[in-house]
Amino acid sequence: MKHFLTATTITLGLATTAMAEDITIGFAIAKSGWVEAYDAPAVAAARIRIDEINANGGLLGNQLKWIEADTKSDQAQSASAGLQLVDEGADMMIVSCDYDFGAPAALAAEGAGLNSFFLCAEDIKAGIQGVGPNSFSASVLAAVQGATVAEWSAQERDAKTGYVLLDTTIEYDKGICTGFDWMFPKAGGEIVGRDTFLNGDASIASQITRIKSLAEEPDVIMLCSYIPGAASAVRQIRAAGINSTILNGSAVDGSYWLDAAPDLSNFIVPVQGSIYGDDTRPAVNEFRDAFEAATGAGPSSTYAYPGYLLIDLWAKAVERAGTVEASAVTAELENMQNEPTVFGPRSFSDQIHHQNTAEMQIVEITNGTPGVIGSFTISEPVPLDVLLK
Amino acid sequence: MAQTHKQKRLSAWSTPLLLIGILVLFTLLVTFLGDNSLARMAAQTLIRVTFVVGLWIFVGNSGIVSFGHAGYMAIGAYCSAWLTLRPQMKGMFLPDLWPFLATAEWPVFPAAIVSGLLAACVAMVSGAAILRLSGIAASIATFAFLAIVYTVYSSWEGVTGATSSVVGLTRYADQWITLGWAGATILAATWYANSASGLALRASREDEVAADASGINMYRHRLIALIVSAFFAGVSGALFGHSLGVLNPSSFYLGLTFITLAMLVVGGIGSLTGAVMGVLVLSIIIEALVRMERGLAIGETTYALPTGAQEIIIGVIMILVLILRPAGITGGRELRLRFGGR
Amino acid sequence: MNAIPQLLFDALSLGGIYAMAALGIALIFGVMKLVNFAHGEYIAFCVFALIVPSTDAVAVMFLGKAPAIILIPVLLLIGAAIAVASEFFVFRHMRNATPVAMMISSFALGFVIQNTLLLIYSSRPKAISLWPELNQPVSVAGASIPLLQIIVILTTLLVVVTLALLLKRTRIGLEMRAAAENFTMARLLGVRANAVITGAFALSGALAAAVALIMVTQTGVADIRMGGQIMLVAFIATVIGGLGSLPGAVAAGFLIGAVSVILQGFLPLEVRPFRDAFLYTLVIISLLLRPNGLFAPKSTKPRV
Repeated sequence: MKHFLTATTITLGLATTAMAEDITIGFAIAKSGWVEAYDAPAVAAARIRIDEINANGGLLGNQLKWIEADTKSDQAQSASAGLQLVDEGADMMIVSCDYDFGAPAALAAEGAGLNSFFLCAEDIKAGIQGVGPNSFSASVLAAVQGATVAEWSAQERDAKTGYVLLDTTIEYDKGICTGFDWMFPKAGGEIVGRDTFLNGDASIASQITRIKSLAEEPDVIMLCSYIPGAASAVRQIRAAGINSTILNGSAVDGSYWLDAAPDLSNFIVPVQGSIYGDDTRPAVNEFRDAFEAATGAGPSSTYAYPGYLLIDLWAKAVERAGTVEASAVTAELENMQNEPTVFGPRSFSDQIHHQNTAEMQIVEITNGTPGVIGSFTISEPVPLDVLLK
Repeated sequence: MAQTHKQKRLSAWSTPLLLIGILVLFTLLVTFLGDNSLARMAAQTLIRVTFVVGLWIFVGNSGIVSFGHAGYMAIGAYCSAWLTLRPQMKGMFLPDLWPFLATAEWPVFPAAIVSGLLAACVAMVSGAAILRLSGIAASIATFAFLAIVYTVYSSWEGVTGATSSVVGLTRYADQWITLGWAGATILAATWYANSASGLALRASREDEVAADASGINMYRHRLIALIVSAFFAGVSGALFGHSLGVLNPSSFYLGLTFITLAMLVVGGIGSLTGAVMGVLVLSIIIEALVRMERGLAIGETTYALPTGAQEIIIGVIMILVLILRPAGITGGRELRLRFGGR
Repeated sequence: MNAIPQLLFDALSLGGIYAMAALGIALIFGVMKLVNFAHGEYIAFCVFALIVPSTDAVAVMFLGKAPAIILIPVLLLIGAAIAVASEFFVFRHMRNATPVAMMISSFALGFVIQNTLLLIYSSRPKAISLWPELNQPVSVAGASIPLLQIIVILTTLLVVVTLALLLKRTRIGLEMRAAAENFTMARLLGVRANAVITGAFALSGALAAAVALIMVTQTGVADIRMGGQIMLVAFIATVIGGLGSLPGAVAAGFLIGAVSVILQGFLPLEVRPFRDAFLYTLVIISLLLRPNGLFAPKSTKPRV
């Protein structure tokens, strides 16, 4: 009896202390160095959602608090930042957009038994396969982006011939092209040629020469690349007089680089949410305005949005699990099938902690002005074996 | 009375012991006074010591600046990954590995040794070609070698994962394991420097023509130095991978090459002490600056450097050191105890 | 459409960029035995000088708005200015240092410049639209070539010829050549060391500015890391061409550009990502066959 009373008192005491504690979210992100430009918008969006949750009474009755550590765009510092945040009592870790820079911190979180979320990594490894069972990514896989434009262009623009131009500098680019290679023939297209280049190449004249030596101009050119190499490639392609529709991944989203290719037309970008205020879903446009109000400028690319989304999904999972403990939250996240969010349905499974299908907005740039022309979802999700190729 | 030969030899061997002692002290301080992330950075520093001392074995003794050692580090890192990763992982991400490697699951210590040996073998082949050259031509050739290793490793998808990071390495390389290897490297460096081959090589560094005239086979000694040097560079690569848990070819390219060469030169390229102190001093300053960027709370206010200032400051410090002391902090002298004599 | 003229023009234009960058490095190496690793950052600095310093995502043209007749000379002056400034603050104090120490401090200087640009402009690549008319295709000898490529080739030739005339016919050129051959002797004969070195740096900086203009017009973006790739190739070209030989550096620059274009054009697809590995293997072979460089001046061979 005595022990029972002691035990109850202690438990109640602990419970009360626990209830009075804040939930701490750790941000192991780049605040300097070249990754900073990609992390900062997503982090701002995440914090907007955190403020919204706090204003609505918090999570499980507790306020959300955040702490951060700078990874300085360096892998070793990323590991160090992750460890530091674990030591400071983070309950969940948010890591850099890029897999290579987020993984060391995510591994630290996984090792400490915490959930880790990649802000916008689109590599299948940013999840179970590459970090561990409690790791997730908030963004849409690169292969889905490639598959989306492949099927869309075949259906909507009657594209029959395609040329693949792959930038072999980072893994993300290969993901896009893998998705395109899988879907384009299925959708009735034929890939008439392919070539590779490096993001830092001063000139892609040889690659352009090869395109021009085809019997006829391909209907679409799938450009699997990111800025700045992609901007430079587009400029040179158009300068050479090639007018094929250029398809891309989400990485080229944004109008900040359009000066590089003046009066650009026939240019297609798939995004999870439009930053131009013309998304087909009004809630996205509202969030876009809220972002501008909170940070002083609109989001510079669609990659701000996954930051908001990840807090949203994680918070829902925590509410359902009733705790921030990692395995319980992971189980709830893996149960999510077509979970409705501002940016469309989101699903996780025990095999894939990413989106292998998504409702994407198709943005077309005409005469240098971008605008959403429609929404598109691929007819079947990208299978795991294609993703792991 | 001048030192006897025996006293000089004792004196020479005091250098590595003193240096190892300093490193042990450093590790103890960090472990007991610092937090986990500091311990992790200490491990990184010790890995760099292993690499830079390995680099010094070649560069310090032969006088040829090698830009290619990061290539040997990459070879060692990936070799250890191939040998220690679980076969399911390798089957999924590295499908084109040879069957012997694809099914191998070795314990980490033999894997580290074999990684060093693989790097040493590659050094034998590459050195046979490159070391016929002298001076800046040799340096450019080592640069070309680095670029070749980088290009091959970042394009050979089935075997190295190309630009996709390799994950799943067991993170056993904490500050104590790396301390052990750093100590071993320092001892090996001293042994080589005091050996006949090392002395012959240093003679040729000073004056190629005179050494040639004295019957020294420059080419052979350079090759020996490169092989020993590459072994430790390879081991440091294995340790690097097993400290971070993730591997990517871009970690072993220009950034690493220049920062480690800078640490060697700022420390003093002529001496082993220079190699060790260069790494230690610069790493401590960098970490201190990083902490200052996070903010120091003094009383009520927090002072913080603007983020991005750390890189600028460390660059300026390096330039100042080189302007004021062109031979490096140690000026090419060794840290040693004198026994007897004046 | 003819493949050979197209290939020729591709090779010449890429080679021209490499040749001008190599010339910048060779000039300084000639007089100071210094490999200037900061050269790539001079190029980046000149590119960023075209836009307003700000961390915003969209770049606002600053200097870039000026008409060509003002823009070109001003940018060349800016390039010369940063090179001379770096000589004044860093390299002047290292005249007696070892080549390795000078090399490392040039690397550190480049590091400082790059991170300063990072701090001021943020790491996001900025788009710059400079002279987009030059990117229109023009038909020459049956090949369709962007006008810019022709301009690059002509500019390189112009620069090389001007530099050659400068070095052969003017007094400062004579002094530079003398200093490159034997610095101590030249000083004994009355050549002013500071003037020669400053002149070499100024020319080198102006060449960096020229490369910057071409790269910006061709690629349309300003990126912090854009100087690095070019500088590596320029460094290698300088050595292959023969250290101390300016025509050698130019020739080697064209050669590397040509080989790179040929490899990209003729390698099979699976092997194409390894293009640079082949290129650098050829570099090693070239060094083994001719360690002193393809066009080494007689003075570099040790007289034993």
